[in-house]
Amino acid sequence: MRRQSCILMLFLCIFFSFGCATPPPQGDLEANKDFLAENDPAEPLNRAVFAFNQTIDKALFQPAARAYRDTVPLWVRQRIGAAIDNLRAPVIFVNDLLQGELDRALTTLVRFTINSTLGVAGLNDLAAEAGLEKHGEDFGQTLAVWGADAGPYMMLPILGPSNPRDTVGLVVDFLVDPFNAWAANTDREELTYARTGVAALHARAGLLDLTDDLEKNSIDLYAATRSLYRQTRGHAISNGNAAGPDVSSAPSDFPDMNDIADNRELSVKPR
Amino acid sequence: MRRDELKVQSSMPRFIYALLAVFLVFMGPPVQASDLEEGASAFIHALEREAVESLTDPAKERPARVQAFRTLFEEKFAVEAIGKWTLGRNWRRATDDEQKEFLQLFEDLMVAMYVDRFQNYAGEKLNILKTSPVDENRATVHTEITRPEGVDAKPISVLWRVGRQGDIYKVLDVVVEGASMSITLQKEFASIIKNTGSVAGLLEELRKKTAQLNPS
Repeated sequence: MRRQSCILMLFLCIFFSFGCATPPPQGDLEANKDFLAENDPAEPLNRAVFAFNQTIDKALFQPAARAYRDTVPLWVRQRIGAAIDNLRAPVIFVNDLLQGELDRALTTLVRFTINSTLGVAGLNDLAAEAGLEKHGEDFGQTLAVWGADAGPYMMLPILGPSNPRDTVGLVVDFLVDPFNAWAANTDREELTYARTGVAALHARAGLLDLTDDLEKNSIDLYAATRSLYRQTRGHAISNGNAAGPDVSSAPSDFPDMNDIADNRELSVKPR
Repeated sequence: MRRDELKVQSSMPRFIYALLAVFLVFMGPPVQASDLEEGASAFIHALEREAVESLTDPAKERPARVQAFRTLFEEKFAVEAIGKWTLGRNWRRATDDEQKEFLQLFEDLMVAMYVDRFQNYAGEKLNILKTSPVDENRATVHTEITRPEGVDAKPISVLWRVGRQGDIYKVLDVVVEGASMSITLQKEFASIIKNTGSVAGLLEELRKKTAQLNPS
């Protein structure tokens, strides 16, 4: 556990000392504005890490995730998913509380109680069937709710898209997790590794449809991933309550309504 | 001043009140927005029906489906407006020829991308949850789509940003689980233009991508 934190710190040091992109020339105001808005000063390094991650993913994680999805029956995968979610409940509960979301904290608590007992060690999400739907939370989101800035975009090796705020969140969540703490205190660290491995496999399998679609359709996969990470994090931080991304700012520079009816002018060439 | 007004009011003939009452009854609710919301919601409902009709015919080969989807797409999506918006300030930097080619490639790309995405979900249930106005001519239709069979049973949240002009409605953006199609494309295009140095570089990439997605 401690060793992992050290490696992470080392990476952060390297990241901030070497990874910086050259900003555009000073005269180009619009380009400079874009550069700041993109908030990805380490883009060249991030892209290199992304390429590395893609290679590992294609060689190891994707084949494993596909095998898991295609051979393990749906019913079993649903039990595994429920058990992983249930193990995460304590961390979600703490973050619900830290964000002052008492209703959601109560939901998490009741879900954990029902699913750990009647649901047989979390293997069955009975609470959801009773109308208590699951939700996620993490310390990165808590920091955001407290007003912390995300900071520059970072591509972590293996772990993927992140930023300083969410990286701190990742470490904190890992450290406060009672299961991990219990495993470490009783010299059963292999349980933590097993849990992390299964959770990663299950999560990667769940993302296959999305990543297949992106790999097929994106023109700049790195830029698409960066944008999607930010948008979905924003969605998660607002607990999905927002009316959508940038609803306050986007409409002002959203397409001019006069253009809407003009589509007819764009005559379609025969195919 | 106040007393004068009172006097005028009291001397107002009774039939004017009656007329006003009749007028209000026939006017319906005075808020224009509800009109927009109903229209936008009906528009999305119709879009779903037409998408299912044109995409789930098993007799159709892919080229025929793509063609049917292109027709639907041109009719229901504000393709040119979205295209211009995703190019952002680079729209002004592009030459007339580049603008023209961009819009054509943009449509090709969107059709190729969305034909399969719609295909995967055509036939799944789309529930319209509510509609909220953005401004006097734009509204957001909140929907959820049941997932095709899978581990996660939670429905997918899809927001449709719909614009109105006269009685024409068009889709301006699709937001899936918080991720906007238009914003993501805009970021991708900006990144490619930055890295290739020009709109021409983007057009080259778009040509490659559409050729790859539409093998002919």
